[in-house]
Amino acid sequence: MQDRPTASELLETIARFLDDELLTALEGGLQYRVRVASNLVKILEREARLGPEALDRECARLSEVLRLDAAALGATAEQRVQELNRRLVERLQAPGEDAELERRAWRALMAIARDKLAIARPGYAPADPGGNEA
Amino acid sequence: MSELEKGLARYLTAEWGRPIEVRGLVETSAGARRRNVLFDAWDGGEVQRLAATITPSAAMEIMHVLVESGALRMAEKAGVPVPHLHAVGEDPAFVGGPFFIGERVDGETVPRRVLRLVDGAGIGELVTAQIGRAFAALHAAPVADAPSGLKQPDPGVSPVDAGLAGLAEQIGELLQPGPALSLGFRWLQRNRPQRSELRIVHGDLRNGNLIVGEDGLRAVLDWEACHLGDPMEDLAWTCVRTWRFGSDEREVGGFAALPVLVDAYREAGGDFDPDGFHWWKVYGTLRWGIGLAKQAAQHIDGSVPSIVMAASGRRVAELEYDLLALLDREYGGEA
Repeated sequence: MQDRPTASELLETIARFLDDELLTALEGGLQYRVRVASNLVKILEREARLGPEALDRECARLSEVLRLDAAALGATAEQRVQELNRRLVERLQAPGEDAELERRAWRALMAIARDKLAIARPGYAPADPGGNEA
Repeated sequence: MSELEKGLARYLTAEWGRPIEVRGLVETSAGARRRNVLFDAWDGGEVQRLAATITPSAAMEIMHVLVESGALRMAEKAGVPVPHLHAVGEDPAFVGGPFFIGERVDGETVPRRVLRLVDGAGIGELVTAQIGRAFAALHAAPVADAPSGLKQPDPGVSPVDAGLAGLAEQIGELLQPGPALSLGFRWLQRNRPQRSELRIVHGDLRNGNLIVGEDGLRAVLDWEACHLGDPMEDLAWTCVRTWRFGSDEREVGGFAALPVLVDAYREAGGDFDPDGFHWWKVYGTLRWGIGLAKQAAQHIDGSVPSIVMAASGRRVAELEYDLLALLDREYGGEA
């Protein structure tokens, strides 16, 4: 087990260093790229904190859409979710009609997208779906 | 004097047949693929305020400079506000790569600054209407006026089917399976609009490719994506959520609501098809999501290493969400 600070704490520290100390000393293109780096560090911090549970939910949701038991699909959560995604793409690329699958997939993928955005860009998806922001 | 200033001066001197001095050169293209420079051309009497777009090498061209300049001239003739073109050069001897020189149009081009200017001056609806009129003028241009070499669907293939074929190819190149993107593609295949027209379209008209001032829209830039396609593709692309740069509730580029665009487009002779618009908006949203994934892939494979390109990979989720939200009517409903 690694010593404190945790990965999440270190990432938060790096982000704050970039924002408070480095950004103000720069300008132009370099300042812009450091801003991008800072944003990526914040994404990684949220990923460290929220990622594992989001992955578990993704696994459960995709398993439900495909009506599969994910346990047999891989040794790690990442492998299982990768395989579930691959299989769902395969089903969605198959010819023929399957409105039920599309509806189930849409619901699961919407929930998964919200979880992804909680890490990649909090606030982008409104808490209450509805309205026509897209 | 820099090499660039010397090169431009040599070119204009030869082109205009009198000694030209280049002064006050300013680069405005930090981080962009092409160089955009502003400068004055002085002939001993008159000063011409000019702007040059330079592609570092011909290999990097998305569209041949003669085709792009042909598109600019076609657009000007059709009544679309564009910078007037003065000269086009292919020979790398002058500035290292292909270039064109046009009149300098003052105004704002950086998206968030454009939005601040528009909000401050209260001209959101004006700019939106101007975009509508620019589109109507462009889409009314005779297809025969299109420069030769312009991309178009294969004979007998509709713009809708050509669009789907292009997407299919790109989806096949994704680094990882993307079921949200695949669901969007599946919907597009199974819900093609009835109508499909072939006109000259800009292909990338959005905040970011406009020059805007206190009096509104002054010029439409970046005609590299110009092609023959469905006019609804153009209107829909402008309305993709990403191009609202945070002013999400105003569908048209963060400027105003959709009816303002549609009314102006129709009043200027444009034919607005709501089903086609919705289809091409789903298409554009999917296409941009794939485009961002491709940027990340180019960083990962080392072809374009850049922190900005890498970061694009983590923006795909936004387009996936937007895509799914656009299909809410179709698949949403009961929880």
